[in-house]
Amino acid sequence: MKRIRLGDIIIFLLSLVIIVASLGSYGSLSGKPEVRVQAEGREWIYDLSVDTIASFQGPVGATSIEIQDGKVHVLDSDCRNKVCIAAGWISASGQWIICLPNNVFIRIEGTTQPKPGGVDDISF
Amino acid sequence: MTYPSKSRQVRIEFVALLAACALFLSTVEYLIPKPVPFMRIGLANLPLIIGLGLLKEKEYMLLALLKVLGQGLVTGTIFSYIVLFSIAGTIASTTLMYIVYRFFNRWVSLIGVSIAGAMASNIAQLLLSRYLLFGAAARLIAPPFLVVGLISSILLGIFAQQFVQKSQWYNSLQEGPL
Amino acid sequence: MKVANIRLVMGLVALPAILLQKSFIGIIIQATYVILLATSHGRRFKIIPNLILLFSVSSAHLLQPHGLHLFSIGRFPITAGALTLGAHKACTLIALLYLSHYMVTARPQFPGKLGKLISMQFYYFERITTTWQTITPKRPVIKAIDQVLLNVSGSSLESPPHPSKQAAREDHLVKDLISNGVHLVILWGLFLLGSLAILPVI
Repeated sequence: MKRIRLGDIIIFLLSLVIIVASLGSYGSLSGKPEVRVQAEGREWIYDLSVDTIASFQGPVGATSIEIQDGKVHVLDSDCRNKVCIAAGWISASGQWIICLPNNVFIRIEGTTQPKPGGVDDISF
Repeated sequence: MTYPSKSRQVRIEFVALLAACALFLSTVEYLIPKPVPFMRIGLANLPLIIGLGLLKEKEYMLLALLKVLGQGLVTGTIFSYIVLFSIAGTIASTTLMYIVYRFFNRWVSLIGVSIAGAMASNIAQLLLSRYLLFGAAARLIAPPFLVVGLISSILLGIFAQQFVQKSQWYNSLQEGPL
Repeated sequence: MKVANIRLVMGLVALPAILLQKSFIGIIIQATYVILLATSHGRRFKIIPNLILLFSVSSAHLLQPHGLHLFSIGRFPITAGALTLGAHKACTLIALLYLSHYMVTARPQFPGKLGKLISMQFYYFERITTTWQTITPKRPVIKAIDQVLLNVSGSSLESPPHPSKQAAREDHLVKDLISNGVHLVILWGLFLLGSLAILPVI
């Protein structure tokens, strides 16, 4: 090649570095934490990192969940005891909330930072 | 056309000529069938690279503008999302290429300039596609997109370098550094 | 106002109605309408690149699951919400694309110095294209390019590079104003229907 100069080589190497750095994006695909909701005999999936509000139907009415700041909780429910609402927020993989009367089951799956001190924080 | 004449009219016409070359090349590229629509060769950037040695700063910016507008009009994309990609890519690449050429001319040949321009353009477009089109998934097409850009820009740069050395037309217009 | 500029303005005014469309059915109808508009004015609709666009944007959105889980490919969940979101975006893009195709169908004349420059650019473009087709030894490439460039730039000295303007067809003016007005009403109407949730979002 005629007259390739030093600057060319530098720019070329810099470009390679950038490309290799972009390959890092392939790692983060699998195992992203998601919220899986089972209701009405079907399943819904939501990304835990995307703020959403969603509502589901059941035998006693509607149950809605809210995902915010990487946590999810039951926003409102038509069941009598509202135990599911009292359960508060969950954010770690494996944690779940259930509204038994309305047949809504919410669970977090995928890899998240493990929380210290136990998996379930449903309180009665 | 006697180019060294400082007549403004002649110089402006010259910019239009280069812009027309860019238009011609982008039509040629548009007609080449590509397996994946997002992999671009960047033929239309050749006049932008070659023009670096011929145009003053303001004229160069004008050339970039005409290239984007012309391309947008011909492909009919001028009022859609897509022209944003063209604008972003062209602004990024012409700015970087101009800077590299202006200040590092002694250490960098047109090959390096071409690579720098292509990387700048592709990165700008990837960022744009992340926020407008694909969302976080845009990162997935980044590596192959960048690799294709690197290879094609090297080839383009080699051609530009050869052209600048061998073309009679170019050499008869040489006016000296910008 | 010339015919060409009417279409230009109409497209610009219709732009937000497409961009801000909330309903998925709404954007599909809008896109179809715009595609019909463009094809009826001479632009071609190529099915394959648009399908590829639809497919790739939709699949990219599948990576962020949302909504009803339809089925899984292995461990990868396909969700209805994500599909719809992706398809919605792709349709928006396609609608914008064909809207802009329509806007330039009558060759609008850009005002001012820039407009003249662009006309010059297109003038040279046609000269380059015709010259390139007529020169015979196309290899070696650089010599051939030189030939074209010398030819094209040499002739510019004699003739002022202003392309002959097409005669403005004033007679169709009113008809065009009305039809574009109708297009606007339809597109904005669809937008309103979508905003008021009369058309389903998913």
